Amino acid sequence: MIAREMFEQFKQRFGPLILRADLPSDNRIFVFVDPSSVKYVCQHIFRDLDARYVATIGADDRPYSGNFLVAHNFAFDKQHLLCSLLVPLPPQNPTIDSISEMVPAASWAEREMRDLVGIEPVGHRYLKRLVLPDGWPEGHHPLRKDVRWDELPAGFDPDREFGFDEPPEGCTVVPFGPFHPTLDEPAHFRLYVEGEMVRGCEYRGFMVHRGIEKLAESVMSYNDIPMLAERICGICGCVHNVAYVQAVEEAAGLKPPPRAEYVRTVMLEMERLHSHLLWVGLACHIVGFDTLFMQSFRIREPIMWMAEKISGNRKTYALCVVGGVRWNITPEIKVELRGVLDKLESEWTAVVGAVSRDKNIQKRTRGIGVADEGLVKSMGLLGPVARAAGVDIDCRRDHPYAAYDRVEFDVITAQGADVWSRILVRAKEVFESIRIIRQCLEKMEDGPLQLEIKDELPVGRIGLSSVEAPRGESHHFVITGENNRPRRWRVRAPTYQNLQGVPAMIKDQQIADMTISLGSIDPCFSCTDRLETIDLRSGSVKVWSQEELLKLARQKVDK
Amino acid sequence: MTSVIWSILGGVANVGLVLLVAPLAQGILRRITARIQSRQGPPLLQPYFDLLKLLGKEDIESGEAPVMQRLAAYLGLASVLTVACLVPMGFAAPMNGAGDVVLLIYLLTLCGICTLLAGLAAGSTFSLVGISREMMTMITLEPLFAIALVVGAVHIGSFRLDTVLRGSVYAAQGLPWSGVLMLAVMLLSFQAFVQRVPFDISEAETELMEGPLMEYSGPKLALFKYAQMAKLIIYSALFVTLFAPWGSGLIFPIGWLLFWIKIFVLVLLVTVVAATHARYRIDQAIRFFAGLMGVSFVALILASYGY
Repeated sequence: MIAREMFEQFKQRFGPLILRADLPSDNRIFVFVDPSSVKYVCQHIFRDLDARYVATIGADDRPYSGNFLVAHNFAFDKQHLLCSLLVPLPPQNPTIDSISEMVPAASWAEREMRDLVGIEPVGHRYLKRLVLPDGWPEGHHPLRKDVRWDELPAGFDPDREFGFDEPPEGCTVVPFGPFHPTLDEPAHFRLYVEGEMVRGCEYRGFMVHRGIEKLAESVMSYNDIPMLAERICGICGCVHNVAYVQAVEEAAGLKPPPRAEYVRTVMLEMERLHSHLLWVGLACHIVGFDTLFMQSFRIREPIMWMAEKISGNRKTYALCVVGGVRWNITPEIKVELRGVLDKLESEWTAVVGAVSRDKNIQKRTRGIGVADEGLVKSMGLLGPVARAAGVDIDCRRDHPYAAYDRVEFDVITAQGADVWSRILVRAKEVFESIRIIRQCLEKMEDGPLQLEIKDELPVGRIGLSSVEAPRGESHHFVITGENNRPRRWRVRAPTYQNLQGVPAMIKDQQIADMTISLGSIDPCFSCTDRLETIDLRSGSVKVWSQEELLKLARQKVDK
Repeated sequence: MTSVIWSILGGVANVGLVLLVAPLAQGILRRITARIQSRQGPPLLQPYFDLLKLLGKEDIESGEAPVMQRLAAYLGLASVLTVACLVPMGFAAPMNGAGDVVLLIYLLTLCGICTLLAGLAAGSTFSLVGISREMMTMITLEPLFAIALVVGAVHIGSFRLDTVLRGSVYAAQGLPWSGVLMLAVMLLSFQAFVQRVPFDISEAETELMEGPLMEYSGPKLALFKYAQMAKLIIYSALFVTLFAPWGSGLIFPIGWLLFWIKIFVLVLLVTVVAATHARYRIDQAIRFFAGLMGVSFVALILASYGY
């Protein structure tokens, strides 16, 4: 279905509630609706039209339009359509009806919007602080345009502790994190445990916010931001790099040259290869099977070397600029890459054969961490977690970008909805990635790598970009702006959604299964935590204060 | 009188031998594991250096009950070494007439109890979960060894430790059915006795961050690690004595060498199993042990009828 047909449907149903609409292409639709109708419209889109919830974005648009802006993004995967529902809000005391009761997946995004932009979601059931540090004063919202990017608000209290909820009766609290051997990044799950069974949990994350979005909106320029974007994540950085650039290109109506699109596809798939191999290794490590952990890291290594040969770096490829890419794939690299892929394919076939026959691993992973189709829909779970539950979504096919519309591949699904199915899905996706890279190397046409951009990019346009990261869809939302930088850039990494499904996945399971259940979404906390200053470790015994630690760290550097 | 001195000397020699060889066995284990995982692996003597390094570190008092923590570390290694005095290491058991098999069972259980004490002393949630797992494992695991010893005692008709150890589980009967059953049971549960993957559940680094040992560091950790390495040798020695005695009666260098070769074959087996398995969950492990317990009761009944 093209955007126009969908819009006609909207118009018939909602009529006067629609303030304005913008249909820049067949697969994008921007509808401005009246604030009072947002719940009604969302209900229709999410329930009746069965759209998938993608993200909610709050923006301070006061300097430009005089209003605050909220965008609810939905995806119609089968119709290859991304839809953004934009709601202008008055500049004083902005409030909006919460949609989180109907769309539970929107819960975090609304809490984040409340923390950072100060837009109050009315009717949200659990309005606890999500993103801001514990000591941040109430009523200070860092993403508002009148807040400087390096401003420390008056009244910031580094000693204030986070008020955790009371555990249910009969349960003891097992703190999982902020630092734990299986968490490669800080995140805090307070598990409510009865004997060995987990009955519930509370999550406190966002401990490594780096203020990336604010930094981009205030001091960086269009072509600096891709390099910042890929530092969002240490594993799927290239995804954010490409997604941001695509969002800007879409907003400005630019189309990169074909060769650049092929190079992007190759690098994205190489990233998926090394990410999936890393994940299978980590999953095995979590269940105590270190041999496969070591072997998959050995198999993965040549991919890292190839990435280094192409971009100069094992990770953090610094691949894209607006309108193109910076690295070429030369004929020599093509030959070598083909060799690496052949070797990888045969070695991975052996590993997958061994794993799929291994009863021992199946015992630990079958029926564990179940996220069924219902949970996928309500929480907006993504990527291998959704595909392992039989939900056939994949942005590479549903919302094609780069050169994915010119290559053939299968979207791997499974039916088990458990950790074992996620292992199988990821294991098989490795072969599809190899297939895609081979086709790209075959079809890649000669030509320029970058578009020549002579004019300034237009102002106030919106661009959406969904890129299938190894963990699921990474969604970027950009409003172009003045001074060669975007007004608003919002990143929604896949873990942001998948993490919200974890409490349901670990409920009524043993503690021993907690780590592998959490591990099975391939969590990426740095992706999720993009914003704002450092959080203070709030433990019962406080040894160092933040200032003391900082002083200590700086002393070391000064020497 | 001289016999007493000789048995004391023998015991001391045994302890020395175990202390000397245990880190080497660990070194071999780590090296082979590394090879299976396509890694270089540490030098064979690395465990000796690790222990020395830990022993030389600052002795930190931490956890809820530091005194109990210290006691648990000392008692853990001491009980393991006492077992070493009683178990033959290629020669006859040194402590003749030192007691009956029940003493051995007690001492082995005491090792486990030290781990419980260590976890209690640490007092953190993770160590408490660790000891609850350790306790469940002990309750289902220790009877297996006890039954094995009793089966041997029944065949021989004596509860004296040295008699049972000299006669193995099979006594002089060739291969009785009960003995074969117990051999199978012990082979299947051996990994759990020496606390390696897939049965290192109570320490599971990726779940419980070493569980009961999480508050340990420096010298006290060294003692626990040493005790764990020694356990591998001692349980292997017990296994060889009770279940694979063949050839130990040969004259000095051959019988002795054969004994140690068998021990290192066991270490090798432990390594390979540990490197090719994922960790079980506690309920899966308990169910597994319960099955073995059923089999060993059958063996006990068979033994009491002379089979």
